[in-house]
Amino acid sequence: MAASTRAQVISLYRMMLTESKKFPSYNYRTYALRRVRDAFRANGKVEDPKTVERLMEEGHQTLAVIQRQVTVGKMFSTQKNVVEG
Amino acid sequence: MAARVLQQCVRTLARPSLRLSSGNLAFRAAVAPAAAIHRPLSFAADSRRTRWVGQSRSPSVGVLCRQYGDLPPLTIETIKDRVMYVLKLYDKINPEKLQTASHFMKDLGLDSLDQVEIIMAMEDEFGFEIPDAEAEKLMTPEDIVQYIADKKDVYE
Repeated sequence: MAASTRAQVISLYRMMLTESKKFPSYNYRTYALRRVRDAFRANGKVEDPKTVERLMEEGHQTLAVIQRQVTVGKMFSTQKNVVEG
Repeated sequence: MAARVLQQCVRTLARPSLRLSSGNLAFRAAVAPAAAIHRPLSFAADSRRTRWVGQSRSPSVGVLCRQYGDLPPLTIETIKDRVMYVLKLYDKINPEKLQTASHFMKDLGLDSLDQVEIIMAMEDEFGFEIPDAEAEKLMTPEDIVQYIADKKDVYE
């Protein structure tokens, strides 16, 4: 398998952010967005291709988790939080 | 059905007390023909309460047109204002240093992840998807304005 290119990393970042925005719960949504941003920024300087590959794999799995949890959250959504406005 | 609606429109429009809101009347009559005749007072109150987006209605009684909901038309100026407003709200950008020609990476010191976030904020603002291949080329606010104007067929 070819090493993950910059374009793949960018598109994974984009997909994770779009999926994280779909959380109905305010807490999960803000946490997911913050965690995705922080994780990508912290690992941005990694050069070793094996580590990059491993991190990308983790990223894809986390993306699948987010997608499943968004679906579950939509089944049991509550009213909007006061903080959300 | 349409003939009955038009008849009721003309009948309600003939009343002098309701002449002020004739445009809203046309829409209201199209939606609730039965209610229009029986409740003239609440009618005027309703049309004052509702807010309509778009151009002002023609006051003439003869022109009955259906009002569809739509956004106000885009111009290059409004696109530029909205793009700059969204960029000023982003916390990693210094609002004083922001110009339409300032490059995100060279002038403002952002990296590619920030650029992705900015493009996603633009997608949310303008309500349409920007594909990855084209998004990575948009490096200044001027590029973004041009791209949106191309996609939305806005030209001057």
